[in-house]
Amino acid sequence: MRTAPYGSKMADTASGGSGTRSGSKHATTPADNYYLARRRTLQVVVSSLLTEAGFESAEKAAVETLTEMLQSYISEIGRSAKSYCEHTARTQPTLSDIVVTLVEMGFNVETLPAYAKRSQRMVITAPPVTNQPVTPKALTAGQNKPHPSHIPGHFPEFPDPHTYIKTPTYREPVSDYQVLREKAASQRRDVERALTRFMAKTGETQSLFKDDVSTFPLIAARPFTVPYLTALLPSELEMQQMEETDSSEQDDQTDTENLPLHMSTDDSGPEKENASVLQQNTSLSGSRNGEENVIDNPYLRPVKKPKIRRKK
Amino acid sequence: MNRKKGDKGFESPRPYKLTHQVVCINNINFQRKSVVGYVELTIFPTVANLNRIKLNSKQCRIYRVRVNDLEAAFIYNDPTLEVCHHESKQRNLNYFSNAYAAAVSAVDPDAGNGELCIKVPSELWKHVDELKVLKVHINFSLDQPKGGLHFVVPNMEGSMAERGAHVFSCGYQNSTRFWFPCVDSYSELCTWKLEYTVDAAMVAVSNGDLVETVYTHDMRKKTFHYMLTIPTAASNISLAIGPFEILVDPYMHEVTHFCLPQLLPLLKHTTSYLHEVFEFYEEILTCRYPYSCFKTVFIDEAYVEVAAYASMSIFSTNLLHSAMIIDETPLTRRCLAQALAQQFFGCFISRMSWSDEWVLKGISGYIYGLWMKKTFGVNEYRHWIKQELDQIVAYELKTGGVLLHPIFGGGKEKDNPASHLHFSIKHPHTLSWEYYTMFQCKAHLVMRLIENRISMEFMLQVFNKLLSLASTASSQKFQSHMWSQMLVSTSGFLKSISNVSGKDIQPLIKQWVDQSGVVKFYGSFAFNRKRNVLELEIKQDYTSPGTQKYVGPLKVTVQELDGSFNHTLQIEENSLKHDIPCHSKSRRNKKKKIPLMNGEEVDMDLSAMDADSPLLWIRIDPDMSVLRKVEFEQSDFMWQYQLRYERDVVAQEEAILALEKFPTPASRLALTDILEQEQCFYRVRMLACFCLAKIANSMVSTWTGPPAMKSLFTRMFCCKTCPNIVKTNNFMNFQSYFLQKTMPVAMALLRDVHNLCPKEVLMFILDLIKYNDNRKNKFSDNYYRAELIDALANSVTPAVSVNNEVRTLDNLNPDVRLILEEITRFLNMEKLLPSYRHTITVSCLKAIRVLQKNGHVPSDPALFKSYAEYGHFIDVRIAALEAVVDYTKVDRSYEELQWLLTMVQNDPVPYIRHKILDMLTKNPPFTKNMESPLCNEALVDQLWKLMNSGTSHDWRLRCGAVDLYFTLFGLSRPSCLPLPELGLVLNLKEKKAVLNPTIIPESVANNQEPVNSTNNHGQSVGFQNTFSNSQEEEEIDMDTVHDSQAFIYHHLNMLERPSTPGTSKEQSSGEMNMHPVSAAPLSVFSKESNSSKHSDHHHHHHHEHKKKKKKHKHKHKHKHKHDNKEKEKDPFAFSNSPASARSIRSPSLSD
Repeated sequence: MRTAPYGSKMADTASGGSGTRSGSKHATTPADNYYLARRRTLQVVVSSLLTEAGFESAEKAAVETLTEMLQSYISEIGRSAKSYCEHTARTQPTLSDIVVTLVEMGFNVETLPAYAKRSQRMVITAPPVTNQPVTPKALTAGQNKPHPSHIPGHFPEFPDPHTYIKTPTYREPVSDYQVLREKAASQRRDVERALTRFMAKTGETQSLFKDDVSTFPLIAARPFTVPYLTALLPSELEMQQMEETDSSEQDDQTDTENLPLHMSTDDSGPEKENASVLQQNTSLSGSRNGEENVIDNPYLRPVKKPKIRRKK
Repeated sequence: MNRKKGDKGFESPRPYKLTHQVVCINNINFQRKSVVGYVELTIFPTVANLNRIKLNSKQCRIYRVRVNDLEAAFIYNDPTLEVCHHESKQRNLNYFSNAYAAAVSAVDPDAGNGELCIKVPSELWKHVDELKVLKVHINFSLDQPKGGLHFVVPNMEGSMAERGAHVFSCGYQNSTRFWFPCVDSYSELCTWKLEYTVDAAMVAVSNGDLVETVYTHDMRKKTFHYMLTIPTAASNISLAIGPFEILVDPYMHEVTHFCLPQLLPLLKHTTSYLHEVFEFYEEILTCRYPYSCFKTVFIDEAYVEVAAYASMSIFSTNLLHSAMIIDETPLTRRCLAQALAQQFFGCFISRMSWSDEWVLKGISGYIYGLWMKKTFGVNEYRHWIKQELDQIVAYELKTGGVLLHPIFGGGKEKDNPASHLHFSIKHPHTLSWEYYTMFQCKAHLVMRLIENRISMEFMLQVFNKLLSLASTASSQKFQSHMWSQMLVSTSGFLKSISNVSGKDIQPLIKQWVDQSGVVKFYGSFAFNRKRNVLELEIKQDYTSPGTQKYVGPLKVTVQELDGSFNHTLQIEENSLKHDIPCHSKSRRNKKKKIPLMNGEEVDMDLSAMDADSPLLWIRIDPDMSVLRKVEFEQSDFMWQYQLRYERDVVAQEEAILALEKFPTPASRLALTDILEQEQCFYRVRMLACFCLAKIANSMVSTWTGPPAMKSLFTRMFCCKTCPNIVKTNNFMNFQSYFLQKTMPVAMALLRDVHNLCPKEVLMFILDLIKYNDNRKNKFSDNYYRAELIDALANSVTPAVSVNNEVRTLDNLNPDVRLILEEITRFLNMEKLLPSYRHTITVSCLKAIRVLQKNGHVPSDPALFKSYAEYGHFIDVRIAALEAVVDYTKVDRSYEELQWLLTMVQNDPVPYIRHKILDMLTKNPPFTKNMESPLCNEALVDQLWKLMNSGTSHDWRLRCGAVDLYFTLFGLSRPSCLPLPELGLVLNLKEKKAVLNPTIIPESVANNQEPVNSTNNHGQSVGFQNTFSNSQEEEEIDMDTVHDSQAFIYHHLNMLERPSTPGTSKEQSSGEMNMHPVSAAPLSVFSKESNSSKHSDHHHHHHHEHKKKKKKHKHKHKHKHKHDNKEKEKDPFAFSNSPASARSIRSPSLSD
């Protein structure tokens, strides 16, 4: 599954790449030479086909267009064949892949052998052997691991070791309990202090000393519209903590790295939603259970419609 | 004598019987805080000539009254609105209390009175004479009620339902009249139909079964129809309307819980336990829960934490908690259990009269105690009993006694049942709140005493009998006259006890119920080696106020070397010494184990004890079967043995308290051992912490080793590897959690030789705060952190101040700076991550006040005032207000006092208003014998106004104002007032002092005749009952407050009899006469009769005067002082007060 998009992408860039590169004349790299040679061969093929069809001359533009068409046709066959082969978890197309591709493209495969054996066909010389440009070996670090016995040989090779082997760089972990606790405590305190100072700086404050308002700034008391909510409901932090302590006991070391403050600020949004969703669920389930067990509680009964007085 | 009445069955004070009442509230407007509705009462006249119907109604605007569809005239008159009328210069509390009691009496439904008097249309008279049914239909509305119904409307955007606006009924005792017209008595039962039309997004919760909910025609509102078929008193009717979340109890589908939006998860957790309470009560009472359903509603701004009404209870929303909260859980469960106990006794079974209240409170408190014992264990139960006992003892000794079963009117007693109090105990509405709390406490303790006497089995049988009688009665139709079986009376209850148990508990009742006061024992002993006898001396103090003499059995437990032995001593009049033979010889067998009371045998190190004596320790009344205070003397080693080896937690706590006086290394060791012992009850260990701190301070010069408890705490709660760091929190073990919380608080009380908190201790506490880590804890640590702040506050000692320099940051003590740093951080963090119930903010505010008081931080109330504003959580507000109250006292600030008093008048939350007065009373800015710049005429006037008219919407608040007035100014005229120009101001209590032999005989003679004529008049119209009572009253000592009230009340009764309509004096009092039928002027005649009676009493009083002289000596002195200046004032003072009848004794009238 994962290889499919990767492969098709590669094919796309290959064909697209060839298209764009063809226009550029001043190519000097070996790769460009390779593309130019291929193009030249294709032009020869088009020209011989035209000759075969009885044309004596052709305008350059026409030949170019036909070349272009031929190239895209062949590219499409290649791309499509590759897809088919990858679809069946192979890396190399087989004949049947090509056949299916051609059928899919609306080509009558059965006519192909006859066409190949036609009498007036022209044979063109093989293009000069230009090697496929060697992709510069990028950073081969170490030997690629050979396939283990249970992996068939046609599977792709392992990538370079450095792409998947992790080499963690350890600092000697601080294992001294006292230092850890000390660190956790002071870190938390610093965060708390920074945060509250920030809040105090940005908002209204009260002070215990008339002459000095900055040393012990107290965030001003602000009345709530519904004071009992903040006072009674556990804070999101506490809720989260409760879940954590319920789910797993963490060891000291990881604990010291996460400060509760971070967690709370990051997750406050979704947590809230969760809570309310949870609430709805529970209330729903409560009433649902009620119906199942046929709880006859008058508060769960539907509200009646008013009686329409017809006597009048 | 009063009890005979009960034997005969209940006699209604009304000339009619209510059978059914409809309450329909068809419009509730949250925006305007108004209610519109009607009531319809179905009544059966019981006398032929019924032409007036008196109902209770307060605050309600009454539009229209119809009786059987005929328009009826009515008068609305409420003398309690303004107790003393006119701009009277009268300012003494005695006068007020009398007037107030008289005003309450004048509308007391238990006396057949009411604020609303409806005249039966003459067309119906014939109908009435045939005793046929009457239907009284009253249309009423309520606009911005100040009491009775409380609206909570948060000021924010959105519909009322979205805002969480709600309304609920509330009040102290019978307060239903505040929100609809009714017979607001616990003894008038009827069936109910209740209808409430509310917004479609709201739920109306009320008593009885919800029959149906129907939309209105526009589909915007719905109507809740409730039926309550069990006869119920109006005072037990309640209502709560709001956008409640509904939770059907998963264990009991008849039970439904309601809470405000968003709190459902908390509600679930909080109520998950309730079914067990149900099971417990049903099991012990062998009786089903009497109602077909039960509802709990949790609301904001509650009047009281728990209010029980028929088939529903209203709780404060602040009782809700999540599973993470430890401390609140037992408290909330207690509240739930209390509410449920009151469903059986209080709601289902109601009382005949106010004097029977103790039975209901006693039984519900007692079965609640049984629940406590089962749920929290015997230790907790005994601890609680001890605590309650100590409380009631302290209160009675302070104020002079709590009387459970006051008898009024008919009594021959010369003493007023509550002459020592500054309020009348004749009505629940005149009681100080504290008195009422103590009353309930005493009631359940007395029930426990009865249980001790007759056994629990019989006790429960009695309860079962009461309940089954009531439930049989409740299913009967009205016509069978069985409903009064649902009312409990003292006599009925006692009869039941004697029937079931066959035991005579009269002496017990006489001692604890009919009499006020507690027993005060002083014990000491000597061991007579020759006779091998313990000579125990037990003395009593029965002369101090609040005490009484005890005669009867008293259990003494002696722990000897050979075992523990119980002895029952007979406490008699003159015997102080009791010889108790000892079982063991002092020669001790060292190897032998010592048997304890519970059969356990333990090894003891006996080296500490006296070699000549086999006594280890002695306990007097170990079962707390007397309401007493025991001061017992035994040597320190005996207390130490008692602490270590006695298994009863009460004994251990007593030993700890006693050891405070013995700061020795041995005491220290005993306490530390207890602290470490995990089997020991955690409360004992907590108490030991504080005792240890005190001992350490007393031993400061000889103390060796680290500060007390430090190494202990380190061992228990700190890491093994680094002892200076506390372990990460784990509160799974609650016992150690409570200990962990308490120890730092106690440690902070330690002082070194310079009387400063040792630096080591302060650093230790700061480290606890620093290293506190709750991330892996299943429970919240908010209470723990709050107590750490309390510990910081405890460590603060007065600042060393040079020439009263101004406190600034620069001269701040470095230790205090550290403390302040923590407080600042905690308080600021609370804004970002608030703790449960804001416990941390509360502790911070308290700590800041401590810093201010000790002169480290400039004293300034501004911070507290901002936290005290409406909109903060109630606990925070109260903590802040407490600080302001304290500031007012310390800095004698008039401005702050005014600010507080304004809040008392204007705050939206009734509990806050009550609490401010309560706090001012407990921590008064000045007292009556104190010179203070705050004590001035304006303040007197202001407070007088507050209690006279400003608090008429809330009984509790008014009584709170009275308490404050009493604390500030005492009973007589405040000393700061100028002398009244006109000379004499007369006060009933001082009449005795006024008596002038040269005047009195004359006035008596003059007035003898009118007395008779009044009485004859009463007789002629068929009020023999009243008459005979008033005859009896002739015997009453007029010096006492309450009897005189009874006296007035009878006169009022006579005045208000149906055949002489409109003569009652209240009608002239400028009240709201909505529809005056006939407001006859004050009859001079009736006044005269009253005044003449007074004179008569004075005459009579003379004879007793000598007898009581000694007792009243003090008072006399006092009275003479005010005598002259007060005399002449009188006639002007009271002409229109309901109390006036009593006080009029002017020469002009008597001539």
